[in-house]
Amino acid sequence: MRPIIGITTYVVPATFGVWHDLPAALLPCDYVTAVREAGGRAVLLPPDDQDADVLARLDGLVLAGGPDLEPGRYGAASEPLTESHPERDAGEFALARRALAMDLPVLGVCRGMQLLTVAAGGRLDQHLPDLVGHEKHRPAPGVYGELVARFAPGSRIEALMGDDRTVHCYHHQGVADPGTLTVTGWADDGTPEAVEDPDHRFVLGVQWHPEVVRDRRVFGALVAAASRAAP
Amino acid sequence: MRRPLIGLTAYAQQVQYGSNDLMAGMLPMTYVRAVHATGGRAVLITPDDPNTDVLESLDGIVFSGGGDVDPAYWGAPRHPETEVDPARDEAELLLMRGALDLGLPILGVCRGMQVMAVVGGGTLHQHLPDVIGHERHRAAAGTDPLAADASAYGRHDVVVQPGSRAHDLLGSRLTVNSFHHQAVDDPGAFRPVGWCPDDRVIEIIEHPERSFALGVQWHPERTPDLRVFAALAEAAADRAGLRPAAVAA
Repeated sequence: MRPIIGITTYVVPATFGVWHDLPAALLPCDYVTAVREAGGRAVLLPPDDQDADVLARLDGLVLAGGPDLEPGRYGAASEPLTESHPERDAGEFALARRALAMDLPVLGVCRGMQLLTVAAGGRLDQHLPDLVGHEKHRPAPGVYGELVARFAPGSRIEALMGDDRTVHCYHHQGVADPGTLTVTGWADDGTPEAVEDPDHRFVLGVQWHPEVVRDRRVFGALVAAASRAAP
Repeated sequence: MRRPLIGLTAYAQQVQYGSNDLMAGMLPMTYVRAVHATGGRAVLITPDDPNTDVLESLDGIVFSGGGDVDPAYWGAPRHPETEVDPARDEAELLLMRGALDLGLPILGVCRGMQVMAVVGGGTLHQHLPDVIGHERHRAAAGTDPLAADASAYGRHDVVVQPGSRAHDLLGSRLTVNSFHHQAVDDPGAFRPVGWCPDDRVIEIIEHPERSFALGVQWHPERTPDLRVFAALAEAAADRAGLRPAAVAA
C-alpha cells in the first residue's frame, strides 16, 4: 500500500457545470498528480476545526497554498491588502501543531510554509512589494513568477534541488521571522524561499509552488519520508 | 478518541473561482459539513488516481452526486441527454467494487446510488422525463426545492418499505428534494426499498447482505435531515471499533 498523504484544501465559491458560486472544498489537481507521480496516495482534507484526529490515518501532510493567514495569529493587525480565511486557519494550525508533535512528515507550500513559520512562533510581512519594491513574486493575477533561488549549503532543500534552482512563485506575503525554523533558501532580494526544522524527521516549507511542475524532488522526498513513517 | 474517517468521492473538473480557471478536485461543502455534523471526519477522494488502496485507510465512504454514469457499463447505447465523465466513472466503479468487497459501510447519494446499482449488475433509466412524462424530479436551476415557496418541481414524497433497514432509519414516509434526470431501473444485487409514490421511481436501495450499503436518490446533505449520514458514521464507527460522538453517553 502506498503512503497516504493528506493535502489541505481551499474553500471558495466555485462555479462549475450548472453550479454558480457554490461553496466548495477545492484543490488544484496539480497537487494530487504531484503526490501520485511521487508514489503516494493523496486524499484531500477540507477544513475542520474540531480535531486533528485524521492524522492518525495519514503518513504525511501537505499544507497547501491559499489565502493569507489571519495576522492576529502572529500578533499583528491586518493590513489593507491582507485577505484571510479564518475557517481554514483554525483547521490547518491544529493539523500543523499535531503533525509536528507526532513527528509526521510535513511539506508546507506557499501559504503552508508561512503557516509552519507562524506555528513555530514566527511572523510574516503582509505585503512584500512594499518591502522589496517589485512584483516579481506575483507578477500578475494567475501568472507565476519564475526566479532562481539560492540554498544554504548542507540543507535538505539544497540536496534535493541540485543544480536546477528555478522555482515558480505566486505570493504577496513573505516570512519576516522564521521563529524556531531555519531559513534554508532565499530569492535574490533576500525573501526567504525555504524553511526547515532540523529537529524533526521531515519538516520542509517552500515559498514557491513545486506542484505546478509536479516536482518529484520535493514531493518524492515527502513520500519517501512518509514511507519510512508508515507502520 | 478519533472519529471514523469517511471518504467522499469528489469531482475533478474545470472550475472557476476568483480570478482562477483551472482543473481542481472539488466537492460542495454541504457534504463535508454533513459528515462533520454527524460525528465523522471527511476526506475527499478525487478520481484522478483510480485505485482502491485508499479504502484501507477509511472507515466508511460516501459516493457523491455528479454527472451520469456511462451506459456502456450496462451495455446500453447513450441517450442524447446523457453526459458522462469517464475518469470519474472508472475511479468510482473501482472504489464501489472494492468497498463492497471489503464490507466498508457505503452511502450512495444521487449519482452515488446509481453507481451502486450499476456495480450491482443493474441498469439505469437514462432520461427520466421520457419514462414518466414529467420533470418533477429535477429542481429548477439554482433553487432549493424544499423551501416553503418552491414550486412542485424537485420536491416529492418517498414511501419506504416496512421491514427494510431504510424503514428502521427513516420511517414509512418522508419528503425529499430531487436533482436528477436519471434513475435506477433495475437495482441488480441491491433491493429497492423506497419509491416516489407518484410515479414509482426508485428512491432508496439497500444491500440485502452487507452491513451498511444504502443508496438514496435525493440530496440529504442539502437538508437539515442528516439521518442517513448519522447512520453511516455509526456503522463506520462500529466497524472501526469506535463509538461516534453522536451516541457517546
